[in-house]
Amino acid sequence: MSKKVLDALKAKFGDAIEATDDQHGDETAFVKRDKLREIATWLRDDKAMAFDAPVFATCVDLLDWRPVSIPHTPSTNTRPEYDGAGPRFEVCWQLRSTTHRHRIRIKVRVTEADPKVASLTPLWIGFDWQERETFDMYGIRFDGHPDLRRIYLYDEFVGYPLRKDYPKEKRQPLVRRPDLVGDH
Amino acid sequence: MSDTQAPPPAPDTVTVTIDGVAVTVPKGTNVLEAAKKVGVDISAFCYHPGLSIAACCRQCLVSIEKNPKLQPSCQSIATEGMVVHTKDAQSTLARKQMLEFTLVNHPIDCPICDKAGECTLQKLYFEHDAADSRVDTPKVHKPKVKDLGPNIVLDAERCILCTRCIRVCDEVAGEHQLEMINRGDHEELTTAPGQQLDNPYSLNTVDVCPVGALTSKDFRFTMRAWELDATPSVCNGCATGCNIEVHHKNGRAWRLVPRLNPAVNGHWMCDEGRFTYHELREARLAGPVVGGLPSSWDKALKAAADKLTAALKDPGAVAVVLSAQASNEDNFALAKLAAAWKAQVFATGRPAVPGRADDKLRDADVNPNWAGVKAIAAAAQDLAALETGVNTGKVRVVVVLGHDLPVSATAHGRLREIDAVIVLATHDRGPAKDATIALPIAAWAETPGSVTNRDGRLQRMHAAIAAPGQAVAGWEAVVRLAQATGVKLAWTQARDVWKDMTAAVAPWKDQPWGREVRPMQLRFAGSRG
Amino acid sequence: MADLKTLVVGRKDAVDLDVEQELPHELMTVNMGPSHPAMHGTVRIVLTVDGERIVKGDVQPGYLHRCFEKESEYATYTQVFPYTDRLNYVSPMINNVGWAMTIEKLLGITKQLPRRAEYVRVIVSEVSRITDHLTCVGASAMELGAFTPFLYFLKCREWLYTLLEEVSGARLTHSYVRVGGVSKDLPVGWTDKLLARLDEITAVMVEVEAMLNQNKIFRDRMAGIGALDREACIKWGQTGPIARAAGLDYDVRKDYPYSVYPELEFDVPVGTTGDCLDRYLVRIEEIKQSMRILRQAVAQLPDGPVMIDDPRVALPPKTDAYNTIESMIRHFKHIVDGIRVPAGETYAFVEGGNGELGFYVVADGTGRPYKAYVRSPSFVHLSTASTIIKDHLIADVVPIFGMINMIGGECDK
Repeated sequence: MSKKVLDALKAKFGDAIEATDDQHGDETAFVKRDKLREIATWLRDDKAMAFDAPVFATCVDLLDWRPVSIPHTPSTNTRPEYDGAGPRFEVCWQLRSTTHRHRIRIKVRVTEADPKVASLTPLWIGFDWQERETFDMYGIRFDGHPDLRRIYLYDEFVGYPLRKDYPKEKRQPLVRRPDLVGDH
Repeated sequence: MSDTQAPPPAPDTVTVTIDGVAVTVPKGTNVLEAAKKVGVDISAFCYHPGLSIAACCRQCLVSIEKNPKLQPSCQSIATEGMVVHTKDAQSTLARKQMLEFTLVNHPIDCPICDKAGECTLQKLYFEHDAADSRVDTPKVHKPKVKDLGPNIVLDAERCILCTRCIRVCDEVAGEHQLEMINRGDHEELTTAPGQQLDNPYSLNTVDVCPVGALTSKDFRFTMRAWELDATPSVCNGCATGCNIEVHHKNGRAWRLVPRLNPAVNGHWMCDEGRFTYHELREARLAGPVVGGLPSSWDKALKAAADKLTAALKDPGAVAVVLSAQASNEDNFALAKLAAAWKAQVFATGRPAVPGRADDKLRDADVNPNWAGVKAIAAAAQDLAALETGVNTGKVRVVVVLGHDLPVSATAHGRLREIDAVIVLATHDRGPAKDATIALPIAAWAETPGSVTNRDGRLQRMHAAIAAPGQAVAGWEAVVRLAQATGVKLAWTQARDVWKDMTAAVAPWKDQPWGREVRPMQLRFAGSRG
Repeated sequence: MADLKTLVVGRKDAVDLDVEQELPHELMTVNMGPSHPAMHGTVRIVLTVDGERIVKGDVQPGYLHRCFEKESEYATYTQVFPYTDRLNYVSPMINNVGWAMTIEKLLGITKQLPRRAEYVRVIVSEVSRITDHLTCVGASAMELGAFTPFLYFLKCREWLYTLLEEVSGARLTHSYVRVGGVSKDLPVGWTDKLLARLDEITAVMVEVEAMLNQNKIFRDRMAGIGALDREACIKWGQTGPIARAAGLDYDVRKDYPYSVYPELEFDVPVGTTGDCLDRYLVRIEEIKQSMRILRQAVAQLPDGPVMIDDPRVALPPKTDAYNTIESMIRHFKHIVDGIRVPAGETYAFVEGGNGELGFYVVADGTGRPYKAYVRSPSFVHLSTASTIIKDHLIADVVPIFGMINMIGGECDK
């Protein structure tokens, strides 16, 4: 994993890169939401970057983020405790380059009130189902996704189960609602 | 290059250096507390911020420059320019050896010990030592299930002789009931001559005990500590309003423990308050009752509406009784409805217990919220006036919040004959038992709300467990009742009630609702005590 | 002729059936699965077909979703191992190893594992890889009508499962690997048994290849079907045998080597067209390469402990835990609190039976993961299915689906 990807990003996009991180050899760039498409396209098309392979897309819900320190053990964490005020979700995509063998993780912070972000499926079709899964589990809406609907859960499901405030033991009986269901 | 000078330190502070980091603390702070400020955790057993310093456990030894020997950081007061090392070879070795020494005679009780999961000895050993034992001698045996008093059992083998419990009894309860006897290996905790551990603050010793030597009879063997979730709240046992944590799991409260509030209760609470969680599960009203038979909300509200609409035509025929046992929100909602109905407003609570008051925490007034009720409805009359109204037949419908209605036997008889007694109650007792209509409401630990203590302090309670059956928050039951009689109260969550309440009641103006608190799992706490 | 028709049909207004008629050709919606013999691991495909030809396919996974990620947030890091077994349940050791490697990366102890532990992990992973490929090829062959290779391969698989049962105590749900090593050492004499079985499996493979490789029916049904070329594979995020069959030379063991793979010699088979036949051939060759790795690993297997010697990570020996308070406390804190991993996040990945299997874990300093996301290769591969099956016949869905090797547990988590 080379640091030059992060340096090149910062050089090209300046403040659109809100922060960078490098934990355990994984480079991460936090980007501004409205610049996401532009940055992602450059990462794919630029010859020195050449991130052509999608790896994964997911989201981190920070609602219960209260890191605890362990005595005599350093930690690489840079994220402070969640105070309820800042953006609650970090939407992440991991990319890989087949030719240059480097990897990068792009993150966009979104709030609970406006959980929308541009979809990267038009750029890398491999993110198709993973973005659907993130929508299904966290409620993040991907603008520009060709077919954003639930994937693991049934259409009548209410709520977004991987969010921290969805109780693990909660049960929802399935009540079929044909008017809510797609083309089947 | 900074263009501003750092401000000179305030006159009553000192600056010390701990592990190379400078920290400024108020004069009189000990080194242990100063280290906490920079995130350095010097282990300690016998030190407790709410008790006097004993410095007997020697776990907190650190190296302080210009001192040839290691010093106990709990007893060393920080002085200007002091340089402290906690990670040097000598202090680290002292810490490990002290733990090794403590563990030499410690019984292998973790699987059956209540403190497991929140045990300071477990935590400190794992974090600071983690080495194997070097001795193979038989351990010293002491009494293992010794009844110290009505609430507490002692396991003397587990005791690490920190003397925190002795100091709690002496300083917090003001009664000398515990002592150490014998010396060396055979030193043992026991009750003072002729005494039992029965002071009203005895269970605080269980909180401060760093190991499982002192266990509460009420809690032992019922639930494992690491499985519990902690939600902050306020004790509803009396008007002091000690800040507490409700420890709950799976929708059930398992114990109450005090939460630090230097202004109200410090680190402590009384035993009687700790037991108030039992009544959350006793004889609860889980569904509406109409005429003694279980019913539904729709039917109960319709029956109530019929009786009320008829009675409301006659001013003064409807009486509303507020409760000092209920939260501010419930009382405010009912008072507002009473105003819309132009009904008479009364207020009641449990009778005071004069012998209960002491100069520590316990108050004679066993109601948590008289101050709140008085602030909300200053003109509320007492029950003597209600009795007159009922006896003369002027009052035809009584709406009661809670289940205290201390009226005379004649009035009770008359109450059975009037049009309706509508009770909004948590439990199926008192007036709820023979009410015309009983509507179930949530108790203090089941819904967000607030109470006002004897000093007028407004304190928030958070919801820890779910209300049973079809019970809803008291203010929500009031909203439903209002809707049934054609009065619109536009509240959908407790926060809305709070907003109107703090706007209407002058001393509470501008008090913030605060953040919704997520229950904290006790596994984050690491250790308690 | 009209009289003959009237005679035959018996009606005067009979329509002349010799005349060409327009057959109705509306599209038809046909449902495949989730309960279907060929839909391994419960997947539903809603096919819109024009006769036999597929116009559109809507692949709907999720019938086996068991909330791995949510449950992991409430379990300690060691308690997650049984959950990982149930991800790709035909090669569970590899999932275990992947999870262990991620936590070790967060703890920073990746380089401190004992050598024997690393070799044991490689050995059991490769045995699991063989069982994965045997199941995939055997089941796919059976769905095309070849019952014999299925039974032959299942016989081989059962030999391997018996060996893994001797190691871990279970045929499938091993939970054998731990953070810092493996939970117990290999039984005495196990490696000899393994080598003997490998020879027997080699003999069975000769038989099965003789039955399938030049079999006209098999080739007709597999060759040219479901092709996905190299560029498409990259865009779709394909890895593992599917990508290699298309010519994309990507194997995590070679490109981002981990554990002791750099010390073992093996080749990575790469195909050309990316159709089902190439995928089959790649898998067969990979079984042979895995056996080659196993023979080397057994020969190089060193002596020593199988668990790291770090009290923060390893459980104490049971005799100590029952007899000294120190080990009792250590055991207790491990079980109750879990291994405390310092706050941070990382993504670590291994070469699973199906491709790059990765775990993205966010740790918060307690003994339980804050977030544990599985990058499951089957999920990503199945997303191509609706594109691949377009313009194929319904019958082609079977080999395509079989060669994608979508494992329900991994796809649906």
